[in-house]
Amino acid sequence: MNFRDKPELHERLAAEYALGTLRGRARQRFERWMREDAAIAQAVARWQARVAPMAEAVAPVTPPRRVWHAIEQRIGSRSNESGKSGFWDNLAFWRALGLTATGSAAALLAAGVLLAPRAPEPAPAPVVLRVPAEGMPNAYLAVLSDPKSQKPVLVVSAGVKSDQLWIKTLDPSIHVPDKSLELWALPTGQAPKSLGLVTASGKAALKLVAAADQSLGDIPALAVSLEPRGGSPTGAPTGPVLFSGPCIKYW
Amino acid sequence: MNAGSNARNRADVANDSLQAELAALLAGCARREQPALAKLYELSSAKLFGVALRIVRRDDWAEDVLQECYLRIWNHAADYRPGLGAPMTWMTSIVRNRCLDWLRRPSFEVPDEDGAFAAAAPSEEPGPLTLLERSGEAAGIARCLQGLEPRQRQAIMLAFYDGMSHSELAAHLREPLGTVKTWVRRGLLRLKACLEQT
Repeated sequence: MNFRDKPELHERLAAEYALGTLRGRARQRFERWMREDAAIAQAVARWQARVAPMAEAVAPVTPPRRVWHAIEQRIGSRSNESGKSGFWDNLAFWRALGLTATGSAAALLAAGVLLAPRAPEPAPAPVVLRVPAEGMPNAYLAVLSDPKSQKPVLVVSAGVKSDQLWIKTLDPSIHVPDKSLELWALPTGQAPKSLGLVTASGKAALKLVAAADQSLGDIPALAVSLEPRGGSPTGAPTGPVLFSGPCIKYW
Repeated sequence: MNAGSNARNRADVANDSLQAELAALLAGCARREQPALAKLYELSSAKLFGVALRIVRRDDWAEDVLQECYLRIWNHAADYRPGLGAPMTWMTSIVRNRCLDWLRRPSFEVPDEDGAFAAAAPSEEPGPLTLLERSGEAAGIARCLQGLEPRQRQAIMLAFYDGMSHSELAAHLREPLGTVKTWVRRGLLRLKACLEQT
Protein backbone atom coordinates (compact mmCIF):
# COMPACT_ATOMS: atom_id res chain seq x y z
CA MET A 1 0.00 0.00 0.00
CA ASN A 2 1.36 3.40 -0.84
CA PHE A 3 0.51 5.12 2.35
CA ARG A 4 1.96 8.49 1.41
CA ASP A 5 -0.55 8.92 -1.37
CA LYS A 6 -3.41 8.80 1.08
CA PRO A 7 -3.32 11.99 3.14
CA GLU A 8 -6.79 11.32 4.55
CA LEU A 9 -5.65 7.97 5.86
CA HIS A 10 -2.53 9.33 7.46
CA GLU A 11 -4.51 12.10 9.07
CA ARG A 12 -6.94 9.56 10.50
CA LEU A 13 -4.17 7.29 11.75
CA ALA A 14 -2.33 10.26 13.27
CA ALA A 15 -5.51 11.19 15.14
CA GLU A 16 -6.06 7.65 16.39
CA TYR A 17 -2.41 7.34 17.34
CA ALA A 18 -2.62 10.52 19.43
CA LEU A 19 -5.91 9.49 21.01
CA GLY A 20 -4.52 6.02 21.73
CA THR A 21 -7.03 3.84 19.88
CA LEU A 22 -4.44 2.78 17.29
CA ARG A 23 -2.97 -0.29 18.96
CA GLY A 24 -0.86 -3.36 18.63
CA ARG A 25 1.02 -3.96 15.40
CA ALA A 26 -0.74 -1.14 13.59
CA ARG A 27 0.64 1.24 16.21
CA GLN A 28 4.18 -0.09 15.82
CA ARG A 29 3.97 0.11 12.04
CA PHE A 30 2.68 3.65 12.25
CA GLU A 31 5.54 4.60 14.58
CA ARG A 32 7.98 3.44 11.91
CA TRP A 33 6.25 5.60 9.31
CA MET A 34 6.40 8.50 11.71
CA ARG A 35 10.16 8.16 12.00
CA GLU A 36 10.58 7.97 8.25
CA ASP A 37 8.21 10.70 7.19
CA ALA A 38 8.41 14.16 8.71
CA ALA A 39 4.96 15.10 7.40
CA ILE A 40 3.40 12.24 9.33
CA ALA A 41 5.40 13.11 12.44
CA GLN A 42 4.08 16.66 12.18
CA ALA A 43 0.51 15.46 11.75
CA VAL A 44 0.92 13.38 14.93
CA ALA A 45 2.44 16.32 16.80
CA ARG A 46 -0.51 18.50 15.78
CA TRP A 47 -2.96 15.87 16.97
CA GLN A 48 -1.10 15.42 20.24
CA ALA A 49 -1.24 19.16 20.78
CA ARG A 50 -5.02 19.01 20.16
CA VAL A 51 -5.86 16.15 22.53
CA ALA A 52 -3.13 16.27 25.22
CA PRO A 53 -4.69 19.27 27.00
CA MET A 54 -7.53 16.89 27.94
CA ALA A 55 -5.08 15.56 30.54
CA GLU A 56 -5.67 18.82 32.42
CA ALA A 57 -8.87 17.28 33.74
CA VAL A 58 -7.05 14.37 35.38
CA ALA A 59 -6.64 14.90 39.09
CA PRO A 60 -2.95 15.10 40.00
CA VAL A 61 -1.71 12.34 42.31
CA THR A 62 1.58 12.84 44.09
CA PRO A 63 3.73 9.79 43.37
CA PRO A 64 5.53 8.13 46.29
CA ARG A 65 9.05 9.44 47.04
CA ARG A 66 10.57 6.12 45.99
CA VAL A 67 9.86 6.89 42.32
CA TRP A 68 12.10 9.93 42.49
CA HIS A 69 14.73 8.00 44.48
CA ALA A 70 14.83 5.35 41.76
CA ILE A 71 15.13 7.96 38.99
CA GLU A 72 17.91 9.73 40.86
CA GLN A 73 19.75 6.46 41.37
CA ARG A 74 19.46 5.50 37.70
CA ILE A 75 20.70 8.89 36.55
CA GLY A 76 23.48 8.96 39.13
CA SER A 77 24.69 5.51 38.18
CA ARG A 78 24.73 6.50 34.54
CA SER A 79 26.79 9.64 35.11
CA ASN A 80 29.43 7.78 37.11
CA GLU A 81 30.00 4.61 35.18
CA SER A 82 31.96 2.85 37.92
CA GLY A 83 28.93 2.93 40.23
CA LYS A 84 27.52 -0.22 41.70
CA SER A 85 24.11 -0.44 40.16
CA GLY A 86 21.36 -2.96 39.96
CA PHE A 87 20.24 -3.65 43.45
CA TRP A 88 19.72 -0.11 44.65
CA ASP A 89 18.34 1.21 41.37
CA ASN A 90 15.56 -1.21 41.47
CA LEU A 91 12.14 0.34 41.94
CA ALA A 92 10.97 -2.95 43.41
CA PHE A 93 13.44 -2.33 46.20
CA TRP A 94 12.18 1.16 46.89
CA ARG A 95 8.68 -0.22 46.72
CA ALA A 96 9.70 -2.80 49.28
CA LEU A 97 10.09 0.13 51.64
CA GLY A 98 6.44 -0.64 51.98
CA LEU A 99 5.56 2.06 54.42
CA THR A 100 6.10 5.36 52.77
CA ALA A 101 7.66 7.87 55.10
CA THR A 102 5.13 10.64 54.71
CA GLY A 103 1.78 9.02 55.37
CA SER A 104 2.85 6.61 58.04
CA ALA A 105 4.99 9.11 59.88
CA ALA A 106 1.99 11.17 60.83
CA ALA A 107 0.19 8.06 62.01
CA LEU A 108 3.09 7.15 64.27
CA LEU A 109 2.72 10.33 66.24
CA ALA A 110 -0.35 9.46 68.25
CA ALA A 111 0.13 8.91 72.01
CA GLY A 112 -0.40 5.22 71.44
CA VAL A 113 1.54 4.77 68.25
CA LEU A 114 -0.62 3.34 65.55
CA LEU A 115 0.99 1.77 62.54
CA ALA A 116 -1.22 1.82 59.46
CA PRO A 117 0.02 -0.29 56.55
CA ARG A 118 -0.55 0.85 52.99
CA ALA A 119 -3.93 0.15 51.53
CA PRO A 120 -3.83 -2.53 48.78
CA GLU A 121 -3.44 -5.71 50.84
CA PRO A 122 -6.07 -6.69 53.36
CA ALA A 123 -4.71 -4.94 56.41
CA PRO A 124 -3.54 -6.96 59.39
CA ALA A 125 -4.68 -5.77 62.80
CA PRO A 126 -3.03 -2.45 63.65
CA VAL A 127 -0.11 -2.70 66.04
CA VAL A 128 -0.17 -0.45 69.03
CA LEU A 129 3.19 0.18 70.63
CA ARG A 130 2.87 1.05 74.27
CA VAL A 131 4.34 4.36 75.18
CA PRO A 132 5.11 5.59 78.72
CA ALA A 133 2.27 7.63 80.15
CA GLU A 134 4.42 10.74 80.55
CA GLY A 135 4.98 10.77 76.80
CA MET A 136 7.93 9.94 74.61
CA PRO A 137 11.27 11.70 74.78
CA ASN A 138 12.45 13.61 71.72
CA ALA A 139 13.76 10.86 69.53
CA TYR A 140 14.24 9.38 66.11
CA LEU A 141 12.02 6.42 65.59
CA ALA A 142 11.72 3.78 62.89
CA VAL A 143 9.47 0.75 62.73
CA LEU A 144 10.81 -1.76 60.24
CA SER A 145 8.42 -4.25 58.75
CA ASP A 146 8.34 -7.17 56.42
CA PRO A 147 6.97 -5.87 53.09
CA LYS A 148 5.22 -9.17 52.39
CA SER A 149 3.32 -9.64 55.61
CA GLN A 150 3.49 -5.94 56.52
CA LYS A 151 4.22 -7.15 60.03
CA PRO A 152 6.50 -4.90 62.09
CA VAL A 153 9.60 -6.81 63.20
CA LEU A 154 11.99 -4.21 64.60
CA VAL A 155 11.70 -0.89 66.37
CA VAL A 156 14.74 1.36 66.21
CA SER A 157 15.02 4.52 68.29
CA ALA A 158 17.56 7.06 69.46
CA GLY A 159 17.33 10.20 71.60
CA VAL A 160 18.03 13.26 69.44
CA LYS A 161 21.19 14.18 71.38
CA SER A 162 22.28 10.60 72.00
CA ASP A 163 24.63 8.40 70.02
CA GLN A 164 22.96 5.24 71.35
CA LEU A 165 20.68 3.55 68.85
CA TRP A 166 18.23 1.18 70.50
CA ILE A 167 16.96 -1.82 68.61
CA LYS A 168 14.04 -3.82 69.87
CA THR A 169 13.32 -7.08 68.05
CA LEU A 170 9.57 -7.70 67.96
CA ASP A 171 9.86 -11.01 66.15
CA PRO A 172 12.79 -13.20 67.27
CA SER A 173 12.22 -15.58 64.36
CA ILE A 174 13.81 -13.09 61.94
CA HIS A 175 17.31 -14.29 62.83
CA VAL A 176 18.86 -16.87 60.51
CA PRO A 177 21.65 -19.23 61.64
CA ASP A 178 25.09 -18.45 60.13
CA LYS A 179 23.89 -15.16 58.68
CA SER A 180 23.83 -11.64 60.04
CA LEU A 181 21.18 -8.95 59.77
CA GLU A 182 22.69 -5.57 59.02
CA LEU A 183 20.92 -2.28 59.63
CA TRP A 184 21.33 0.49 57.05
CA ALA A 185 20.50 4.17 56.93
CA LEU A 186 19.16 5.13 53.50
CA PRO A 187 20.05 8.74 52.81
CA THR A 188 18.22 10.37 49.90
CA GLY A 189 20.14 9.93 46.67
CA GLN A 190 23.20 8.38 48.31
CA ALA A 191 24.51 4.92 49.01
CA PRO A 192 23.21 3.22 52.15
CA LYS A 193 25.30 3.64 55.31
CA SER A 194 25.77 0.76 57.69
CA LEU A 195 24.59 1.34 61.25
CA GLY A 196 25.72 -2.06 62.50
CA LEU A 197 24.41 -5.56 63.03
CA VAL A 198 21.10 -6.49 64.59
CA THR A 199 21.96 -8.90 67.37
CA ALA A 200 19.79 -11.85 68.26
CA SER A 201 18.92 -10.53 71.72
CA GLY A 202 15.53 -8.94 72.19
CA LYS A 203 16.87 -5.47 72.88
CA ALA A 204 20.29 -4.12 71.98
CA ALA A 205 22.10 -0.84 71.45
CA LEU A 206 24.38 0.25 68.63
CA LYS A 207 26.73 3.18 68.79
CA LEU A 208 26.16 5.89 66.18
CA VAL A 209 29.15 7.75 64.75
CA ALA A 210 27.59 11.00 65.96
CA ALA A 211 24.54 12.10 67.94
CA ALA A 212 21.28 11.05 66.31
CA ASP A 213 20.53 14.61 65.19
CA GLN A 214 23.58 14.40 62.90
CA SER A 215 23.48 10.69 62.05
CA LEU A 216 19.76 10.36 61.40
CA GLY A 217 18.63 13.92 60.69
CA ASP A 218 18.58 13.46 56.89
CA ILE A 219 17.67 9.80 56.83
CA PRO A 220 14.14 9.17 55.54
CA ALA A 221 14.25 5.40 55.96
CA LEU A 222 16.10 2.45 57.45
CA ALA A 223 16.43 -1.05 56.07
CA VAL A 224 17.80 -4.42 57.12
CA SER A 225 19.62 -6.68 54.67
CA LEU A 226 20.66 -10.30 55.01
CA GLU A 227 24.46 -10.54 55.03
CA PRO A 228 27.17 -13.14 55.55
CA ARG A 229 28.01 -13.74 59.20
CA GLY A 230 29.77 -10.69 60.59
CA GLY A 231 28.15 -8.29 58.16
CA SER A 232 28.65 -7.07 54.62
CA PRO A 233 32.24 -7.61 53.45
CA THR A 234 32.04 -4.65 51.04
CA GLY A 235 30.54 -1.86 53.12
CA ALA A 236 27.47 -1.88 50.88
CA PRO A 237 24.49 -4.20 51.17
CA THR A 238 25.13 -7.48 49.36
CA GLY A 239 22.08 -9.53 50.29
CA PRO A 240 18.34 -9.03 49.92
CA VAL A 241 16.54 -6.31 51.84
CA LEU A 242 14.30 -8.07 54.31
CA PHE A 243 12.77 -5.26 56.31
CA SER A 244 12.43 -1.55 56.01
CA GLY A 245 10.52 1.41 57.31
CA PRO A 246 10.45 5.20 57.50
CA CYS A 247 12.64 6.97 60.02
CA ILE A 248 10.97 9.94 61.63
CA LYS A 249 11.82 12.52 64.21
CA TYR A 250 9.44 12.69 67.11
CA TRP A 251 9.60 15.77 69.25
CA MET B 1 -14.78 42.03 29.56
CA ASN B 2 -16.59 39.82 32.03
CA ALA B 3 -15.27 38.10 35.15
CA GLY B 4 -15.14 34.70 33.46
CA SER B 5 -12.80 35.79 30.73
CA ASN B 6 -10.64 37.66 33.27
CA ALA B 7 -10.29 34.41 35.19
CA ARG B 8 -9.44 32.61 31.99
CA ASN B 9 -6.80 35.20 31.13
CA ARG B 10 -5.22 34.74 34.53
CA ALA B 11 -5.19 30.98 34.00
CA ASP B 12 -3.57 31.52 30.61
CA VAL B 13 -0.86 33.71 32.09
CA ALA B 14 -0.17 31.19 34.88
CA ASN B 15 -0.07 28.35 32.40
CA ASP B 16 2.21 30.26 30.03
CA SER B 17 4.70 30.95 32.79
CA LEU B 18 4.59 27.29 33.91
CA GLN B 19 5.18 26.13 30.35
CA ALA B 20 8.05 28.59 29.95
CA GLU B 21 9.61 27.29 33.14
CA LEU B 22 9.17 23.68 32.03
CA ALA B 23 10.77 24.50 28.67
CA ALA B 24 13.76 26.08 30.44
CA LEU B 25 14.06 23.00 32.66
CA LEU B 26 13.96 20.68 29.64
CA ALA B 27 16.81 22.73 28.17
CA GLY B 28 18.68 22.20 31.47
CA CYS B 29 18.06 18.44 31.22
CA ALA B 30 19.46 18.51 27.68
CA ARG B 31 22.64 20.00 29.22
CA ARG B 32 22.64 17.10 31.74
CA GLU B 33 21.89 19.32 34.73
CA GLN B 34 20.37 17.07 37.35
CA PRO B 35 18.81 19.86 39.44
CA ALA B 36 16.78 20.79 36.33
CA LEU B 37 15.33 17.30 36.25
CA ALA B 38 14.58 17.44 39.98
CA LYS B 39 12.64 20.67 39.52
CA LEU B 40 10.91 19.37 36.41
CA TYR B 41 9.83 16.31 38.36
CA GLU B 42 8.59 18.45 41.22
CA LEU B 43 6.45 20.56 38.88
CA SER B 44 5.07 17.84 36.63
CA SER B 45 5.14 14.43 38.32
CA ALA B 46 1.78 14.62 40.11
CA LYS B 47 -0.03 15.45 36.88
CA LEU B 48 1.76 12.76 34.90
CA PHE B 49 1.32 10.17 37.65
CA GLY B 50 -2.41 10.92 37.66
CA VAL B 51 -2.54 10.34 33.90
CA ALA B 52 -0.60 7.05 34.14
CA LEU B 53 -2.59 5.78 37.11
CA ARG B 54 -5.85 6.39 35.31
CA ILE B 55 -4.72 4.32 32.31
CA VAL B 56 -2.77 1.42 33.82
CA ARG B 57 -4.90 1.31 36.99
CA ARG B 58 -2.31 -0.12 39.30
CA ASP B 59 -0.06 1.94 41.57
CA ASP B 60 3.01 -0.21 41.03
CA TRP B 61 2.63 -0.18 37.24
CA ALA B 62 2.04 3.55 37.19
CA GLU B 63 5.18 4.02 39.29
CA ASP B 64 7.22 1.96 36.83
CA VAL B 65 5.79 3.90 33.89
CA LEU B 66 6.55 7.20 35.58
CA GLN B 67 10.12 6.20 36.37
CA GLU B 68 10.76 5.09 32.79
CA CYS B 69 9.19 8.22 31.37
CA TYR B 70 11.34 10.59 33.40
CA LEU B 71 14.43 8.67 32.30
CA ARG B 72 13.18 8.99 28.74
CA ILE B 73 12.53 12.71 29.24
CA TRP B 74 16.04 13.10 30.69
CA ASN B 75 17.64 11.24 27.80
CA HIS B 76 15.56 12.88 25.07
CA ALA B 77 15.18 16.40 26.45
CA ALA B 78 17.43 17.64 23.63
CA ASP B 79 14.83 16.37 21.14
CA TYR B 80 12.09 18.56 22.54
CA ARG B 81 11.09 21.30 20.09
CA PRO B 82 8.71 24.07 21.11
CA GLY B 83 7.15 23.66 17.66
CA LEU B 84 5.94 20.20 18.75
CA GLY B 85 3.69 21.72 21.39
CA ALA B 86 3.96 22.89 24.99
CA PRO B 87 6.35 20.94 27.26
CA MET B 88 3.47 19.48 29.25
CA THR B 89 1.84 18.25 26.01
CA TRP B 90 5.10 16.60 25.00
CA MET B 91 5.58 14.92 28.38
CA THR B 92 1.93 13.84 28.58
CA SER B 93 2.29 12.18 25.17
CA ILE B 94 5.39 10.30 26.35
CA VAL B 95 3.52 9.03 29.39
CA ARG B 96 0.39 8.04 27.48
CA ASN B 97 2.49 6.24 24.86
CA ARG B 98 4.36 4.32 27.50
CA CYS B 99 1.08 3.39 29.21
CA LEU B 100 -0.37 2.07 25.95
CA ASP B 101 2.78 -0.01 25.37
CA TRP B 102 2.43 -1.27 28.89
CA LEU B 103 -1.14 -2.41 28.28
CA ARG B 104 0.07 -4.40 25.29
CA ARG B 105 2.19 -6.67 27.48
CA PRO B 106 0.91 -10.24 27.33
CA SER B 107 0.60 -10.42 31.10
CA PHE B 108 -1.74 -7.46 31.19
CA GLU B 109 -5.16 -7.98 32.61
CA VAL B 110 -7.51 -5.20 33.44
CA PRO B 111 -7.82 -5.36 37.21
CA ASP B 112 -11.37 -4.17 37.41
CA GLU B 113 -13.21 -7.16 38.78
CA ASP B 114 -15.61 -5.09 40.80
CA GLY B 115 -16.24 -2.66 37.99
CA ALA B 116 -15.11 0.26 40.10
CA PHE B 117 -13.12 1.88 37.34
CA ALA B 118 -15.80 1.40 34.75
CA ALA B 119 -18.26 3.02 37.13
CA ALA B 120 -15.91 5.95 37.65
CA ALA B 121 -15.27 6.36 33.93
CA PRO B 122 -16.60 9.45 32.26
CA SER B 123 -20.25 9.15 31.36
CA GLU B 124 -22.12 10.86 28.59
CA GLU B 125 -22.53 13.84 30.84
CA PRO B 126 -20.02 16.60 30.26
CA GLY B 127 -19.39 16.84 34.06
CA PRO B 128 -15.58 16.28 33.99
CA LEU B 129 -15.35 18.85 31.24
CA THR B 130 -16.01 21.62 33.71
CA LEU B 131 -12.55 20.88 35.10
CA LEU B 132 -11.06 21.38 31.68
CA GLU B 133 -12.69 24.74 31.20
CA ARG B 134 -10.74 26.21 34.07
CA SER B 135 -7.50 25.72 32.24
CA GLY B 136 -6.57 28.24 29.57
CA GLU B 137 -4.91 25.70 27.30
CA ALA B 138 -7.69 23.14 27.64
CA ALA B 139 -10.65 25.48 27.35
CA GLY B 140 -10.77 25.03 23.57
CA ILE B 141 -10.87 21.24 23.67
CA ALA B 142 -13.42 21.34 26.51
CA ARG B 143 -15.76 23.51 24.45
CA CYS B 144 -15.29 21.34 21.36
CA LEU B 145 -15.87 18.10 23.28
CA GLN B 146 -19.14 19.53 24.52
CA GLY B 147 -20.12 20.14 20.93
CA LEU B 148 -19.85 16.43 20.06
CA GLU B 149 -22.70 13.99 20.09
CA PRO B 150 -22.83 12.34 23.51
CA ARG B 151 -21.79 8.90 22.20
CA GLN B 152 -18.84 10.34 20.30
CA ARG B 153 -17.75 12.32 23.32
CA GLN B 154 -18.03 9.33 25.61
CA ALA B 155 -16.00 7.08 23.29
CA ILE B 156 -13.25 9.68 22.88
CA MET B 157 -13.05 10.39 26.59
CA LEU B 158 -12.87 6.69 27.50
CA ALA B 159 -10.15 6.18 24.90
CA PHE B 160 -8.13 9.15 26.11
CA TYR B 161 -8.53 8.92 29.87
CA ASP B 162 -8.76 5.17 30.33
CA GLY B 163 -6.62 4.04 27.41
CA MET B 164 -9.42 1.90 25.97
CA SER B 165 -8.86 0.35 22.56
CA HIS B 166 -11.66 0.12 19.98
CA SER B 167 -12.53 -3.41 21.10
CA GLU B 168 -12.51 -2.42 24.77
CA LEU B 169 -14.79 0.50 23.93
CA ALA B 170 -17.12 -1.85 22.09
CA ALA B 171 -17.25 -4.22 25.05
CA HIS B 172 -17.65 -1.43 27.57
CA LEU B 173 -20.34 0.42 25.64
CA ARG B 174 -22.00 -2.82 24.46
CA GLU B 175 -22.02 -1.72 20.85
CA PRO B 176 -20.65 -3.33 17.69
CA LEU B 177 -16.99 -2.65 16.97
CA GLY B 178 -17.75 -0.89 13.68
CA THR B 179 -20.19 1.48 15.35
CA VAL B 180 -17.68 2.45 18.01
CA LYS B 181 -14.94 3.00 15.42
CA THR B 182 -17.25 5.31 13.52
CA TRP B 183 -18.06 7.34 16.65
CA VAL B 184 -14.35 7.78 17.35
CA ARG B 185 -13.47 8.69 13.78
CA ARG B 186 -16.32 11.17 13.33
CA GLY B 187 -15.76 12.59 16.78
CA LEU B 188 -12.10 13.26 16.02
CA LEU B 189 -12.96 14.94 12.70
CA ARG B 190 -15.46 17.20 14.41
CA LEU B 191 -13.00 18.03 17.15
CA LYS B 192 -10.42 19.07 14.61
CA ALA B 193 -12.88 21.23 12.68
CA CYS B 194 -14.05 22.85 15.90
CA LEU B 195 -10.53 23.51 17.18
CA GLU B 196 -9.51 25.04 13.88
CA GLN B 197 -12.39 27.52 14.01
CA THR B 198 -10.96 29.11 17.11
